[in-house]
Amino acid sequence: MSLVPPPFDPELAAALELIKDVISPGLTLDQIDEIRQGPGIALLAELDLTLDGFFEVEDRKVPGPEGAPEISLLICRPTAAPASGPRPVIYHVHGGGMVIGNNRVGVDVPLAWAKEVDAVVVSVEYRLAPEHPHPAPVEDVYAGLVWTAEHVAELDADPERIVIAGASAGGGLSAALALLARDRKGPQVIGQVLMCPMLDDRNDTPSAHQMAGVGVWDRTANETGWSALLGEARGGPDVPAYAAPARAEDLSGLPPAFLDVGSAETFRDEVVAYASRIWQAGGVAELHVWPGGFHGFDGFAPQAAVSQAARAAQLRWLRRLLGS
Amino acid sequence: MKELAGRLTALDPDAGAAVQVIAYFDRLAESRAGLEALVRGAAVLAGVPARLFDGERRVQVRVEADGTRRDSPVPPDPAWPSAALSPDGVPALWLERAGAAPSVVDAVILERAAGAVRQVLDRTRGRAPADDPASVETLLDATAPESARLHAARRLGLDPTARARALAPAYGPPRIAPEQTTDEPHPGRVGVGPAVPVLRLPESWAAARVALRFASEEPGRRVVHAEELGGLALLADLVAPGAEPPADVRALEAAAATAPWLLATLDAVASTTSLRAAATEINVHHSTLQDRLAHAEHLLGWPVRTPQGRFRLQLALTLRHLARA
Repeated sequence: MSLVPPPFDPELAAALELIKDVISPGLTLDQIDEIRQGPGIALLAELDLTLDGFFEVEDRKVPGPEGAPEISLLICRPTAAPASGPRPVIYHVHGGGMVIGNNRVGVDVPLAWAKEVDAVVVSVEYRLAPEHPHPAPVEDVYAGLVWTAEHVAELDADPERIVIAGASAGGGLSAALALLARDRKGPQVIGQVLMCPMLDDRNDTPSAHQMAGVGVWDRTANETGWSALLGEARGGPDVPAYAAPARAEDLSGLPPAFLDVGSAETFRDEVVAYASRIWQAGGVAELHVWPGGFHGFDGFAPQAAVSQAARAAQLRWLRRLLGS
Repeated sequence: MKELAGRLTALDPDAGAAVQVIAYFDRLAESRAGLEALVRGAAVLAGVPARLFDGERRVQVRVEADGTRRDSPVPPDPAWPSAALSPDGVPALWLERAGAAPSVVDAVILERAAGAVRQVLDRTRGRAPADDPASVETLLDATAPESARLHAARRLGLDPTARARALAPAYGPPRIAPEQTTDEPHPGRVGVGPAVPVLRLPESWAAARVALRFASEEPGRRVVHAEELGGLALLADLVAPGAEPPADVRALEAAAATAPWLLATLDAVASTTSLRAAATEINVHHSTLQDRLAHAEHLLGWPVRTPQGRFRLQLALTLRHLARA
């Protein structure tokens, strides 16, 4: 194996040049507070979540896991009457390496889909590591899904058409959520969109080694995120699948999955492996590996040609899934 | 547009922005990004649509601020900030920013993007050299695929919808001239093909090469236009260059060997409207001409002062050119 990573796509490389002052490849535990209080998260609160009035937006406190605090759901419903019957729901789980972010982070992506396919978006807030290690984050995410499935009627939505989606840590949590819902016989989910998902705490794939010190979310950052979530257990023999879905023995019986990842990112190999294992288990998955993409490229440089292609592929899959 | 942390957005026009613009386009150029990526870079960094139009090379790219490619039939507004691709060139790259005061960031974006665009065009479409031999050869080659010939036409800066003609010089490589070609002085014989659409230049080239065989070294008749040959062009197929010439040509050569004035005299008779004009042309007295022609008729074995004889002479002179190796 070569330790030389694949080259970045030319447009992405140029974009990285401009954002490198804000985004560095690595992340250590002591930097987490600084990022949480940095300008990025605050600026997200200024996002127009209504997309020029297309959606009405509500923050709803709903019950958390048993014995745990309430959780906050961001609910975005189209203001117009549904075109044809109850709407599908996109249940969104934000990213941020398990350690940063809120339910606004990355929600512009499902909102853009929802505008196209006339869906309701529910974005869940979950407790963050390291203050709240596993299973707090995934249990919050599960509790939000349970509430959503039970209250779809209030949202003019269709309980038979809930899609879960997330990027990065949100993608990993979505994959874990699909496993949990399957094993607990919880809410029915008809699809899982796993965008550059964070799946494997072992952090030891060829791509993890190739990308050390380069791009976005390198091997060090990944170790920081997983250690925050799992502590000493990270990389050891006893990590549960609901924390790191790559650890799941059985990937059968899952809803159809959409997976995408860049070829020049830490998660490349674990995402490709996860898709392969779904197929090996007789499941349904669509996998896109975008050449020269760094972690989260379509969010950092949405204008680039490869980002537009990635976004278009996500939407096309969703349209096929929902039959719209 | 509010800049989200870590998301590439339009740059604020502050001092640091110029440095970022330079870094952005340097990086694109380094990884040999294509034209659309460069125009997209300009649009994204400026926060307004950007467009590239290079009529000479038939290139048109328009990208909106969100990165989507959307070409427009509406011509550019002269008031938009723009840049040329060469120091004395016409505007080719625009930022669609109406009614704004010139900004330093726009100027830097245009300058860096235009420089990178120029590099890509030079690399991929050539500098439009009028006489690039390889492109000319491709354009004149009937067996080359149409796409290759179109590409060659663009490299040569030829508008594929315009008409042009092929030129076949006796010495030197083939050339391509615009339809309205002026008869510039050629150093040697040259055949000029008919004006045709650019993709039919192989036909013009074939005709030009035939025309070249009718050209003579005498001043004034070095340039032969295929369009003026008419049925004479059919003769070209009858006489193979370098082969044994027909009997009348052999007679001409034998006669020419006896007197240095003979060929020029016969040529004057064949190409002028009267014997008087022929005498003037070669600068001899009318009676001298009559003496010379009597001598020539004796050597040739046929009269040159009757209509039929004059035609036979013209034919012999023409066949002589065609028989040339």
